[in-house]
Amino acid sequence: MTQPEPAAVAILEDGQVRKLPRLADPTAPLLEVENLKTHFTLESGMVHAVDGVSFRLDQGEALGIAGESGCGKTTTALSLVQLLPPNGRIVEGTVRLYGIDLAGKSENAMRRYRWREIAIVFQGAMNALNPVRRIRDQIAEPIVERLGADPKAARRRAGDLLELVGIPRARGSAYPHELSGGMRQRAMIAMALACDPAIIIGDEPTTALDVMVQAQILELLERLRAQLGLSLILITHDLSVIAETCDRVLIMYAGRIAEDGRVADLFSKPRHPYTQKLLAAFPNIHADRRTLDTIPGSPPDLRNPPPGCRFAPRCALAMDICRVEVPGATILPDGVRVECHLYPAGSDGTPILVPADVT
Amino acid sequence: MTTAAIVIPRRRPWTGAIELLGQLVLRPAGLVGLAILLVLTALSIAPSFFVGPIQTAVTATGPRLSPPSIDFLLGTDQLGRSMLNLTVHGTRISMVIGLIATVITVLIGAVIGIVSGYVGGRLDAVLMRITDFFLVLPTFVLALILTPIIRDLVGNATAEVFGIRMTLIVIIVVIGITSWASTARIIRSQTLSIRERAFVDRARVIGAGGGHIMRRHVLPNVINLIVANAVLTFAGAVLTETTLSFVGLGDPFQPSWGQLLEAARAVGAPGLGAWWYFVPPGVGIVLVVLAFTLVGSALDDLLNPRRRRAP
Amino acid sequence: MGGRFLGRKAASAAITILAIILVNFLLFRLMPGSPERIILRGVPNVTEQQRVALRERWGLNDPIFPDQFVKYLGATATGDLGYSFVARGQTVAAVIGQRIGPTLLLFGLGEILAILIGLALGAYSGWKRGTAVDYVGNGISLVLYSTPYFLLGMALLLVFSTGLRWFPTFGMLTAGRIYASPLDLLADLAFHLTLPLLTVSLGLVGQYSILMRSSIVETLSEDYVTTARAMGLQDGRVLTGHALPNALLPTVSLVAINLGYVIAGAITVEVVFNWPGLGTLAVEALTARDYPVLQGVFLLLSISVVLANLLADVVYGFLDPRVRT
Repeated sequence: MTQPEPAAVAILEDGQVRKLPRLADPTAPLLEVENLKTHFTLESGMVHAVDGVSFRLDQGEALGIAGESGCGKTTTALSLVQLLPPNGRIVEGTVRLYGIDLAGKSENAMRRYRWREIAIVFQGAMNALNPVRRIRDQIAEPIVERLGADPKAARRRAGDLLELVGIPRARGSAYPHELSGGMRQRAMIAMALACDPAIIIGDEPTTALDVMVQAQILELLERLRAQLGLSLILITHDLSVIAETCDRVLIMYAGRIAEDGRVADLFSKPRHPYTQKLLAAFPNIHADRRTLDTIPGSPPDLRNPPPGCRFAPRCALAMDICRVEVPGATILPDGVRVECHLYPAGSDGTPILVPADVT
Repeated sequence: MTTAAIVIPRRRPWTGAIELLGQLVLRPAGLVGLAILLVLTALSIAPSFFVGPIQTAVTATGPRLSPPSIDFLLGTDQLGRSMLNLTVHGTRISMVIGLIATVITVLIGAVIGIVSGYVGGRLDAVLMRITDFFLVLPTFVLALILTPIIRDLVGNATAEVFGIRMTLIVIIVVIGITSWASTARIIRSQTLSIRERAFVDRARVIGAGGGHIMRRHVLPNVINLIVANAVLTFAGAVLTETTLSFVGLGDPFQPSWGQLLEAARAVGAPGLGAWWYFVPPGVGIVLVVLAFTLVGSALDDLLNPRRRRAP
Repeated sequence: MGGRFLGRKAASAAITILAIILVNFLLFRLMPGSPERIILRGVPNVTEQQRVALRERWGLNDPIFPDQFVKYLGATATGDLGYSFVARGQTVAAVIGQRIGPTLLLFGLGEILAILIGLALGAYSGWKRGTAVDYVGNGISLVLYSTPYFLLGMALLLVFSTGLRWFPTFGMLTAGRIYASPLDLLADLAFHLTLPLLTVSLGLVGQYSILMRSSIVETLSEDYVTTARAMGLQDGRVLTGHALPNALLPTVSLVAINLGYVIAGAITVEVVFNWPGLGTLAVEALTARDYPVLQGVFLLLSISVVLANLLADVVYGFLDPRVRT
């Protein structure tokens, strides 16, 4: 059970030293996903849940992945660590962590990277914590099993982690049902930090919580990011969370990326029609009162995705080419990447606005 | 929100049943189960049509305890009766007993469950205490004691109900009054969840009385569950009757499968190698229980509110 | 573990046992014939003095409620269950006492084996859900579940006893045999025990493995199992450390609830193999209309089930911290 000894090191911006896995390429970006395709086999057909997703995460960055339910955000996250259910498979693409391709690894080889490099915090923590084991023991488990520590030392470290996330050490002996929702989420974060990972993926980490607790959790994540040099991937449908916490954001739709760029750029100058509609759907407390802007129709059936752009059936600005040809990715001058025929290669990036609904 | 009148759509009960049947056939478990049941039902309705009237000690024509042959496809018992004949007739007896016992069990269980769940409060607490008591009790042993006592009390009446003799009717009633507890529990929890639903409150606001609500609102929504439960109860009832007959409470003049098995054991069939005496009725039992369990769990899958898509 | 939790469960069990004794009492009054005739029928040469004393002890001169019931309760608590009709002069308690051992042996061993094998099989089946192993295992379990125990027994008898002559046909020990040593006795016992034990175990295994399988399948879809896998824990660790402890919970409850039904099967197995236990006693008493013995067996079995349920509750409380509050 001895894990390969990490040899290379990476020096972070603030001087912290992080040990890298043996096969790592210190010059490569932290995480680079290229043309990832994940399909599920159902009785009724193959679901193209993730169909050509590419993005990049740099050291110390916080990336948000946003989109409607079913757009493939969670599947993308699970694909990164090959944690798909039995009927799911990565059919194409690469997932490079420090240049090491995780997508092609076998289950056994994959285990080395789980939790020690990439950890996941699931939503709600209602059932994400084992109800019959104490919190402290659950946090200590990966320390013992994955890092080979002895149980006593592991429990002590678990206590340290609890304090780091703001839970009194003594509460470690509690069972999950004895903690409030917010504390459970903190405990899950503590658990995710157990093996000192490079990346933490939060899958709807604040959705089941009330607004005050939500703010506390986000603040905690920020603090941890600064203190430990963590990189974050936040998956959520709540754009306000992304606006507050993330540096960059991916907007996903029906298994593909619509737009990808810095939060400030994207939110102030949304290009893709879907992004515009998504932002418009959020009530603006400063603007005049009006009926909510909704997007007519519903996302496509991913067993039979439409040819061409997937958003075309619902897009107010759809052109003929949209229904026929899948748009390629265009990188605009300010760094935003968009997949839309309105912004072909060489476009200067001026946003083409979707007409607001006449009410 | 528009204020529409509360309309409980009045569907004919059988349209729902036909839909259900259709969906059932699509599942392999349901299909196999239904097929077996169809064959067994055919045999139960007119056994004489298939194998002639039931053979008795007097009308037996075969050699004693002989293995299967051209004349006697399933061999003979120690009185020379054809096992094929006895087993097919046993189908009718076992199935009818199962049916009537199930009706009694489900009736008692459903009534107690619905009333308990709907009325709530003290009545609910008392009824559930009694129900839990019956759940814990080894009802088989209770049935074992009750049957001879009631038979002795009833005496030697030779009346027949649905063509079943009094001795067996006693067994049916005893099974009915000892097996209702799990049905009651299941129906009660379904009733509780229905009671919480808005339309029942609205009906109350209109001024509908308790009985009316129970009949028109609660019952239609519970019926599905009752049917699914009845199917599984049937399997249990057949098994219970078989076991009670096996320990000697059956009727040699109307041999159910259990009674045939008891006769086989008494004669020492396993020891004599006379497999044809106990295998046919045994296979019959396994088929019935299997079929009902398959159909019952397929129904459960289909009707389980957790998996049903909201209309 | 909370003393209050234990206290509540024990009190509940006590009330249930009281109710069982009440049922027994009612049955006793239901039976045709006068009570003292029933109690004393098996005793030869009853004197008038004995009859009067009996009426006093059993409160037959008193009104039924509460006096007679209380006296009945008292009698039962001290083990006085009346006299057997069949075994002339012997008390019911004595008769039952002779037969408890064999039943405990057969049934106890059978349960232990079935729990170990059934739960393991079910867990493995659930873990390998959807594969050939699962379908085959599930199919076999389903058929076993649908087969009455005595049928299994008869089939096994036919094949292994009559056919292959590997095992004896009935009884617990060879009649009239003298044993050279205790080991010899044990061997003979084991020899006779094999087929009935196999029957009881197979029947139970079918049930338990189906239970465990569906429990594991449900548990495996929970988020904490996904988290455990995301942690990179070995498959075995995920199964034993996370899935199993949670999957065991509903299984424990269901095993306890099923106990009542299992008793029916156990009785018939004893009958098939002529095993000298409580099951054959019950059937003999039934045939001879020996009501006192029947009632005694009913009482014993019922109380055993209640106690077993109590044990299951305690085990459940031990396994699941959520119910202890």
